[in-house]
Amino acid sequence: MDGGKVTLGRTAGLYLGAAVLRLALFTLFPGLADLLTGRVEISTPVTSFKRLQEGLFLYDHNVSPYDGGVYHQAPLFLPLFSLLPSLPIFTYLLYIAVDILSAGALLKIADSGEAGSSALFTSPRREKRWSGFVIATVFLFNPFTIATCIGRSTSVFTTCAILHAIAKAVAGAPFGAMVALSFAAYLSMYPLLLLPPLLLLCYDRQPPESAIKPGVQSAATNILVVVGVLAALFQMSYFITGSWEFLPSTYGVQLTLSDLTPNIGLWWYFFIEMFDSFRSFFLAVFWLHLSCYVGGLTIRLRRQPLVVLTLLLGIFSIFKPYPSISDASLFLAMVPLYRHVFPLMRYTFVIAAVIMYTTFLGPAFYHLWIYAGSGNANFFYAITLVWGLGQSLLVCDLTFAVLRDEWEVERPEMVGKDIRQI
Amino acid sequence: MSARRSLDIGALGGTSSSKATTDAAIAENVAPHAVIDETSGARKQPPPEKASDVRRRTYVILSFWLIVLLLGLPIWWRTTTIHRANLPLDEMLDWADGKACRPVFPLRISIQANSLQEQEAQNLLRLTQHALDDLNDFSGHHLRLQLSPPAAEESHHGDDGAALTIRLIPGESTTSTLDPYAPILDITYPPNSIPSPTSSSSSLATYVAGQLRSTFAEEQAIISFLLSNNSIPSEHRPQGLTPEAAESLSKRTTRSLKYAPTYHLTFSLFASGPLPSSWDIEAAIDEFMKPVLNVLTPIHNFTIDTQVQLYANPGVQSQILSKEDLSSFINAAEWPLSPSIGGAPTINFIVFVGNQTILTAPRETSETEGGLSTSQSWLVPQWGTVYLLSLPSDTAHVSAATLRQPLLTFTSHLLSLTGTPQSGSLPLRLSTLARIRSADLLLRASSTLGSLARLALALPSISIPGSVADGVSKTMTHLRLACETLGGPEGLAHARIAEAEAERAFFEKSMVGQLYFPDEHKLAVYLPLLGPVGVPLLMGLLNEIKAWRKRRRERAERGAEKKKE
Repeated sequence: MDGGKVTLGRTAGLYLGAAVLRLALFTLFPGLADLLTGRVEISTPVTSFKRLQEGLFLYDHNVSPYDGGVYHQAPLFLPLFSLLPSLPIFTYLLYIAVDILSAGALLKIADSGEAGSSALFTSPRREKRWSGFVIATVFLFNPFTIATCIGRSTSVFTTCAILHAIAKAVAGAPFGAMVALSFAAYLSMYPLLLLPPLLLLCYDRQPPESAIKPGVQSAATNILVVVGVLAALFQMSYFITGSWEFLPSTYGVQLTLSDLTPNIGLWWYFFIEMFDSFRSFFLAVFWLHLSCYVGGLTIRLRRQPLVVLTLLLGIFSIFKPYPSISDASLFLAMVPLYRHVFPLMRYTFVIAAVIMYTTFLGPAFYHLWIYAGSGNANFFYAITLVWGLGQSLLVCDLTFAVLRDEWEVERPEMVGKDIRQI
Repeated sequence: MSARRSLDIGALGGTSSSKATTDAAIAENVAPHAVIDETSGARKQPPPEKASDVRRRTYVILSFWLIVLLLGLPIWWRTTTIHRANLPLDEMLDWADGKACRPVFPLRISIQANSLQEQEAQNLLRLTQHALDDLNDFSGHHLRLQLSPPAAEESHHGDDGAALTIRLIPGESTTSTLDPYAPILDITYPPNSIPSPTSSSSSLATYVAGQLRSTFAEEQAIISFLLSNNSIPSEHRPQGLTPEAAESLSKRTTRSLKYAPTYHLTFSLFASGPLPSSWDIEAAIDEFMKPVLNVLTPIHNFTIDTQVQLYANPGVQSQILSKEDLSSFINAAEWPLSPSIGGAPTINFIVFVGNQTILTAPRETSETEGGLSTSQSWLVPQWGTVYLLSLPSDTAHVSAATLRQPLLTFTSHLLSLTGTPQSGSLPLRLSTLARIRSADLLLRASSTLGSLARLALALPSISIPGSVADGVSKTMTHLRLACETLGGPEGLAHARIAEAEAERAFFEKSMVGQLYFPDEHKLAVYLPLLGPVGVPLLMGLLNEIKAWRKRRRERAERGAEKKKE
């Protein structure tokens, strides 16, 4: 009993600490928020807070927020932000609250132990794990998370929705999971690809006391829930903006990459160079590439759906059209759940080095290109390539570690031995 | 990258040990990985794969291939097939070669001979037509005489579609005068020159024919010049064009602007000092230029703007301008003479107030230009006119009366710049201009069609959007109409539309960008990305098929063994 209270107090302290740190950054460095809002690493055309303000201004003046082609975010942000009192402190508090909600969901996921032992698979190493408190701390005090929060990128809402979807699924509440996922998909579209592993996770985590429904039936119900919630959200958006214009302006922009503002992803440079006649084909190729991992990973790692979700988040953070460090922070928040397979990873040092290296060199090269004029676009793109490389190394290494963990259950005599291809 | 990795590991993870006895035959060759026992160095055979692992690997590979086949291939097909609208290539080439339309200008000349007997007049007409046909060597330009009924007198010249009316009036001697305000040729004849019904020749008939021919000589020359510059087959081509005549014509056509339905006229007053700062240009234009602009309206529209610029430095500083200086007089860098605004070509008329004079009126050019050049002004081909106006230095306002001479010069230069022929009365010149322009537009639209057809034939990989096919069919419809009504006002309208449509179709934006795109480029576009993606996909599929065939063969063998037993 006492222990529970202590944990509760500890968690509250953690949240308080994170909130105070963010609030201090907001208020003690008044220029920092605007500086970070303008950074390409944090604000992409589909998540930028500046663009949100532009849309908000148009919305408040009864002009369609999508006029002018600057605002590409979901319409439901507009009433939310226009209801906030105009003092900036309320915006800060909203963003801090969203971060803490995300951390809460992450804490629940971690404490459920799903990462170590799922319904179909139990890792022999599961005892060696970090508590939810540690994982939430790693998330809340990750510089990427803090920078995203201070930069007020709207991707924090998507992060929060995804984490809650997973937390609900783990808690055995498929309805809540599907609603949260629908919100994430409504805000950023790409989380819809998380649906298959999430369905499996929901199926695996059904509370044992309730009658186990057959897989197809529960999947169909869940999909119906997603469709229904999305339809309701679209209908609300239609009522808010008065037209269906928001569909091409939000999802259309992500699908066609019509805004080529540089970001840390791999798409923009490619499509600047692309021949016009091949543009639509390669857009399709890039999107198919992004989505083709879903099926393969879900089948291969059927026994650990949470791993699939984690890996997919990593893949999205590399290959989605407008990635930012916010996506990386979400992936990095999920990775510590697999503390027990860290000893099996082979490139931890390289990965850490590459991520640090790009974190410092990326802004420097961007400065050289845009402000100093002594570099060109290739400088920045090279760094984004390395950043992508670092993240894909992490995805690969984690996949390897998880598979090796599975494999050692089947062949206990091979524990600790090297693997060679013959 | 990570997909490939996960596949490799997938295969690795599948090498299981626990149920070694299940299906030895399957596992023997399928399992691609083995583990080397490092202490001994000896190679151990990996335990056989579980059937469920094999199946799972198949599903994984299938899931990738399903996306490639079900989504990738249709998208590839849809996004990269070149849309080629059907073009009537043969017909287009026919137009370009002049096979589809033979430009013929049948000009009807009506003869009014009120004082003659019907029969006498008919006879005279027949003889004149004979004389004309003898003189004429160009079948495309045909003069046909007709007798206008005596009752219909003054009231409707031109209404019946006749290009020219000849009024035969009895008089003392054989003279001819061209009415300056109407397309009427007055010919007086002595009474005794009326040919008798039996005579086969008559001096009057020959005279009338000669007069007609000289009246239309310039038009004929210009049209035959236009045709000769095109790819019209030689049998339609006129022969009687001397090299000198052709040269002077080509000089004149290069001087005139390319046809446009609208011209923009810019009147600029440039003063070398602070004065004059205002001018009565509106009144002057209304008085001296508007009449001509009005008669040109059926052929061109005009928009006008004016400007005044003080302290304007000409490109040449010297007081006396020699002929060579004239070309650099216009200070293109500093004078605000904008090029074409809003699509319509601009004609510039510049009044320069200063004390420069032209050294000598260039004699040799004034001959070819038909006396258009004066000592105050000169014409810049396809551009406009400069007029040097010397005024007392304290003149602050230029009155309309002062602008009379400049504007009259501008007006005559405008006619020259629009390509109006120089001989004959104004109505005749204008109707000739309309005919010349329609022939010109017709030929230009045809040759654009031909270029488009040749382009479509030469580049099989170029996409032809539907709008181009649309434009081509519109062009052809209007060309056909224009060809039928050549010489009339509708002919010009149709030719104008045809030319605009043909240009629009030829310069279609989406086509121009793709003019050069050879197949090697496609390789360079596809390979860098799809190559690395495709290799693991293909290898996975091939391995899977190989393993499947092996399994099947072994199953068959086992079946055979069982049968033997």
